[in-house]
Amino acid sequence: MTSLPQTIYRYIYILTISALFAFSPSPVYAQADTTATDTTDVKVHKKDLAGHQLCVGVDIFNPIMNLFLKDTGGRRYGYEIEANYYLHNEYYLAAEGGWGSSDVNYTDLKYTTTNTFMRLGFNKSVLTRDKPVDWDMMFIGFRVGVANIIRSNVAFTVIDSLWGNSQGTLSQLPPFTAWWAEFNGGVRVELAKNLFAGWNARAKFLMNGKSESFKELTPLYIAGYGKGDKNSAFDLNVYISYAFRWDRKSLHGINDSTDSPIIKPAHAADGTKANKSFPGSNEAIPDTTANPIIKSVNATDSTMEVRDLPKGKK
Amino acid sequence: MIKIEKYLAPVLMALCGIVWAACKQERQPCLTPKTANLRAEFMHKTSDTATVFSDTALPSAIFIALTRSRDTGFVYPLQKSSFSLSLSSDTVFCQWAFRTDTFSYTVFDTLSFYYQKHRQFLSNACGFTYFYTLDSIHTSHKMIDSVHIINSSVTNDVITPNHLQVYIHPDY
Repeated sequence: MTSLPQTIYRYIYILTISALFAFSPSPVYAQADTTATDTTDVKVHKKDLAGHQLCVGVDIFNPIMNLFLKDTGGRRYGYEIEANYYLHNEYYLAAEGGWGSSDVNYTDLKYTTTNTFMRLGFNKSVLTRDKPVDWDMMFIGFRVGVANIIRSNVAFTVIDSLWGNSQGTLSQLPPFTAWWAEFNGGVRVELAKNLFAGWNARAKFLMNGKSESFKELTPLYIAGYGKGDKNSAFDLNVYISYAFRWDRKSLHGINDSTDSPIIKPAHAADGTKANKSFPGSNEAIPDTTANPIIKSVNATDSTMEVRDLPKGKK
Repeated sequence: MIKIEKYLAPVLMALCGIVWAACKQERQPCLTPKTANLRAEFMHKTSDTATVFSDTALPSAIFIALTRSRDTGFVYPLQKSSFSLSLSSDTVFCQWAFRTDTFSYTVFDTLSFYYQKHRQFLSNACGFTYFYTLDSIHTSHKMIDSVHIINSSVTNDVITPNHLQVYIHPDY
């Protein structure tokens, strides 16, 4: 029996090590299936057992970094929230949004930008589930992001030691947009019931960096994207999130007391009942001598696979 | 069995250090030229009636920027035929005084540049600068025979063609 602090330490350790492995050149493999592969023709029926999950979270990485990102050049900050909803077959619909600002306060350049942003896309879990109610995940994903940027008046000085400095101003622009595509990957671990922590690394590619608004003055920082004068940016988020789940039992037969699927015995092709029982079912102990048809049940992800093997195969 | 607590603190500190160093908000160094200079190539007419021109390496040319506050001179001790001159970003007109060498002659020619200036954002690291479009050049004719504008667009791009050809009298 481990104490709560030890459990938390363990999960933090897992998150940290997974972060290091994600950036290491060696590949990371999910749980390997060591069982022999059946090469015979099988009929696969998949039924989603995971139910519905809506996860709502907040990024804690940017608020921490905001404390450090103060220097003579000004100040910047960004805040972000996220939500994802389990769709089907290990795909999650993901939406993220936030806001931020940056002050540029150099000797020859002074302005402020503020922006809101939103990203929409999906995550795909690449880990095999231990059981349908296992929501820990390592994922890859894709997003399209858009930011609405407001820029203040700009004061600038062109420094010229020969002819003398010249100063100028740019008036405030109407709000303009930046949009980008991004690939991401990360890890999410359920620390306690319904409470998740995880990180998400992102590679972002700005799509309209050559627009007129950017040519006139490229924002130093776009919350949600990063440095505006780079056509590609890399970023990290650390999320703490809470999951709302529903309809697991009623729709998909999850036994809430054991968190395991209730799998009702299937009928064999010859009309006899398969002699296999599972938690939550009331079937008898299997008769192992009189059953020529094997019902192979494998719930490795959110779906249950019921494989009907041909007669006579074991 | 690995004692995870033993490794947790160093790994976390290293990770935070890497992230903090990567995100530190210092102004990036400016790696592009900040000033748009025009380049003048000096040509020499072999005689008053000649139609053949050749590059003229001026032996020890002097250029003086005639600014409002104080005049600043640049002496080029080595023989050169091509020179870079900056334009004033404060106005749309500026003057340079010019002499072909430091010893032989005491007279100067004056080059007066008339241009339009265009504000140009370089980057957050470099800030703003001005690019120029040359309208006309007026000159005195003590040493200079004539001036031709070859390329009127003066930017910070150093691989564009020269902007001016300055023709020197055969006597100089």
